[in-house]
Amino acid sequence: MFRFHSRFRLATLLLATPFIFSACKKDKAEPKPDEENEQITTVTYTLTPPPGGGSPVTATWRDTDGPGGNNPTISGLTLAANTTYTGAISLSDETKSPVADITAEVRAESDEHLFVYESTPASLLAITRTDRDVRNLEVGLATRVVTSAAGTGRLKITLRHQPGTKNGTATPGDTDVEVTFEVTVR
Amino acid sequence: MPSLGGLAILFMRVFSYLPGLIAAGLGVALTGLPALPGRAQTAPARCNLVLAGRVADHEAGMALLGATARLLETGEVSTTDSAGNYHFHVCAGTYHLEVSFVGYRSESAELRVTTAVVRNFQLHPDAVQLAGTIVRGQVATAPPTQATAVLGGRALAATRGQSLGEALLNVSGVAAIQTGPNVFKPMIHGLHSNRVALLNNGVRQEGQQWGQDHGPEIDPFVASQMTVVKGAAGVRYGADAIGGAVLVQPAALPDSAGTTGQVHLVGASNNGLGAASATVQGAPRRLPALAWRVQGTVRRAGLTRTPDYWISSSTLAEYNYSAAVGWRAQRWGVEAFMSQYNARLGLYPVPENWNLTARGSSVAPLPASFTYELERPYQQIQHTLFKLSGFYKLNGWGGRVGLTLAQQADNRGEYDKYRPRNDNVANKNLPELDYRNQTTTADLRWEPRLPGNWGGELGLSGTYQDNTYRPGSRFFIPYYTNVAAGAYALGHWRPGPWLLEVGLRLDRRSLDTRRPTRASGAFAVVREDFAFTTPAASAGVVREFGPHVTLRADASLLQRAPAANERASQGVHNGIYEEGYDITRPAGAPALGPETARSAAFSLSWHDHPRLNGELTVYQSQIQNYIYQTPVPPVLDIRGLFPSYRFQQTDARFRGLDLLVAYRVARPLTLGLKAATVVERDLRQDDYLILAPADRLEGWVRYEAPAGKVKEGSSASHRVRGFYAQLGIQSVGRQTRVPRDNEVRDYQPSPPGYWLCGAEIGGTLRLAAHTPVEISVTATNLLNTSYRDYLNRYRYFLDEMGRNLTLRLRVPLAFGAPKT
Repeated sequence: MFRFHSRFRLATLLLATPFIFSACKKDKAEPKPDEENEQITTVTYTLTPPPGGGSPVTATWRDTDGPGGNNPTISGLTLAANTTYTGAISLSDETKSPVADITAEVRAESDEHLFVYESTPASLLAITRTDRDVRNLEVGLATRVVTSAAGTGRLKITLRHQPGTKNGTATPGDTDVEVTFEVTVR
Repeated sequence: MPSLGGLAILFMRVFSYLPGLIAAGLGVALTGLPALPGRAQTAPARCNLVLAGRVADHEAGMALLGATARLLETGEVSTTDSAGNYHFHVCAGTYHLEVSFVGYRSESAELRVTTAVVRNFQLHPDAVQLAGTIVRGQVATAPPTQATAVLGGRALAATRGQSLGEALLNVSGVAAIQTGPNVFKPMIHGLHSNRVALLNNGVRQEGQQWGQDHGPEIDPFVASQMTVVKGAAGVRYGADAIGGAVLVQPAALPDSAGTTGQVHLVGASNNGLGAASATVQGAPRRLPALAWRVQGTVRRAGLTRTPDYWISSSTLAEYNYSAAVGWRAQRWGVEAFMSQYNARLGLYPVPENWNLTARGSSVAPLPASFTYELERPYQQIQHTLFKLSGFYKLNGWGGRVGLTLAQQADNRGEYDKYRPRNDNVANKNLPELDYRNQTTTADLRWEPRLPGNWGGELGLSGTYQDNTYRPGSRFFIPYYTNVAAGAYALGHWRPGPWLLEVGLRLDRRSLDTRRPTRASGAFAVVREDFAFTTPAASAGVVREFGPHVTLRADASLLQRAPAANERASQGVHNGIYEEGYDITRPAGAPALGPETARSAAFSLSWHDHPRLNGELTVYQSQIQNYIYQTPVPPVLDIRGLFPSYRFQQTDARFRGLDLLVAYRVARPLTLGLKAATVVERDLRQDDYLILAPADRLEGWVRYEAPAGKVKEGSSASHRVRGFYAQLGIQSVGRQTRVPRDNEVRDYQPSPPGYWLCGAEIGGTLRLAAHTPVEISVTATNLLNTSYRDYLNRYRYFLDEMGRNLTLRLRVPLAFGAPKT
């Protein structure tokens, strides 16, 4: 048999339910490193001059804290005029431990990827993709870069992810990487 | 288009049922509008004679509230108000008026009406004992002191198949922030998201409601009525209801034995939308105190079509269900309710680097052809609610005590346009953003029975909320624990035609957030604790001037503590970068504190009038430390530049006006007008605020076939009842009230204004003796106009939906003969 007071007590008890929940959960969960979240934090483009032409030149685009927060650090290229360089691009995710090598993944699925190199002005650099995938379409992990007259400009490198739709042009698919470097040729 | 053929046939059929009158009516509406007032002054003028009086107890002389006055000739009924007054508007003639009231002997009188007639009745108590009769009733709750709009009956039926936010657009003063054609976020008087409380069957909807691209996770088919409280209603509905509240209300469980139900079917031509919803409810014959209801909805749509192209990845698939069971005794009752909402909503992929080319040019839409297939990017949402509620009626002044306990789980996955490169990860097909939210709420409400004209209620509420995201998925909203407790008291006094209400509330919210950061290079977790105590107070007046005019005024002071997303959200979803205020707070700037709203509103309504009905609301809200989202210069990511938004804080002022007028020019013909405007000012910058709804004006003409007598020999009118047809025009202006630096702040100028034309016809079709099928066909954007709306987040690259024809059917079900 309930009486008013015991009912009131019951109501109070029920009302306190949310706080009982909170009292039980003292050790609150915390975010863990986002291991499953694929990202590319670093792009390195290395240009090696012909033997005897000096040491390799490297352009780096790095943003380890993701979009927003700290600005990315970008270092440009300084190249010699009238020189033919051999280019190699590498991608990595420095938020993973050990650092994840994205280049290897792109190479393994080279029939789904295409690097696009665009120089502004176009006369500054002549860039040719020198590697091909299983379907004999260009990939762009390896390149040849030819400089002519001295000048300054920009190099935009785009990685297009084209699963099942790769046809040798940049149009299909999505952009995985789009970075721009300052270039000086002297 | 899949269902267009069938639709067209049905459309034709419905037209063939039309009495010739309708065509004439529409013709008049289209061509002869100026001619109408003249007509209005002749015929119906004589039908506006007042027949009124007062019903009182013969012995004590006191007024009888709730007595029924019935005109036998017309079947019209008027119920007496608190002063015992009834009234009718009639044509000249002779009438038989019958007045009845429980416990009194009925009386009738023959009245000859040539001018206004006043006839009072004094009823004699009936000697017959009311043995064995149980009269159940709810004490009528005090009318709200804010302007309130109800979407029910035909108005609600005309929105079946739409999402909740889209349906609410029918209420003047309500707009919606859109994300493509499928996501509608209600905005009341320019305020939205965290500032609008949504109550689903009496439980505050708690999930990921903060996001502007997150529509309410509620199946509108659950509701038999939706109520929009326009204006600050924080004392009753929780401190953050600065903008207002939306109540999604199912019908009460059946209170008599028998099993009934209804089926809704909706089909639309533009996106091949098909929706079906069925409700079955009943009470067992042997245990009529036990009542139950089950309900389920399926909704599916393919790509939406603008006048010129299909919108890529705009499909939707949804299934929802709910069940309720209740036990009701004389003094107490309990009810258990559960519902689940499941939806997959396609989102248009934001074009890459569109913001670079957006200014001055428009990005070509992605090519697409009609499909029902869901493609990335999309949102996958599941919202589950369990609710247990009960009430108990105490003796004497004790009144009524009610308790509601609820548990909600909200899971929202957002799939990026980009599939993971690693095939092992891609094969798991997990969303890139995967929010999880659990909320427990408890509300205790006590309405004591106070003497005289006094009334009121006391309430306590508690919330425990835990928000996480799937480990390994991408951070956007932090892990947080939100514990809130509130207490409120509302009291009212109703001397005569006045109602005065005062309310006080106190809330305490503690928010504990944990978010990851790599700002220093290595992974670390930032823990932050906030606690705010926010008071609220309100005062309101309702004054009735006779049976047709009500004046409302209210003023309130509310405070809202900042939510987790406004402080500490960060990341990219669907090509847009967003961040909270605390992420890159300028050095030395004060932390995000609560916002304080001082609101006042005044509303005048004409109602229950045979000719003129309407409402005018004017309001002002001054919000100190108003928290809002604004575009910032694009953020540079490894994928390029992203359109970016950031939360800011300022002092704001909202001033606006809503108007609704319906004028019956002739007996079957009504003209309507709806208008809304709001001016949002940033007081610190002395500038306009971004993302304010543009001015809206809507006009319509509606024909409703006179009810009652059925003409002999006309088979069509035997079959079709309650026929109506409506033609409307909506005009939305260009939003010119934008910040001075809009050219650099926003990615595109506000789109030009637009005109839309719409039409609706419907009625009740009697297929069999007891199967009245409600049927309607609605056409929106009849002229297939290309337009963009300022409040659509995808307005930078997408047009709105083109012409759309929607067919709606409602079929009532009865299982066996109900017990009488």
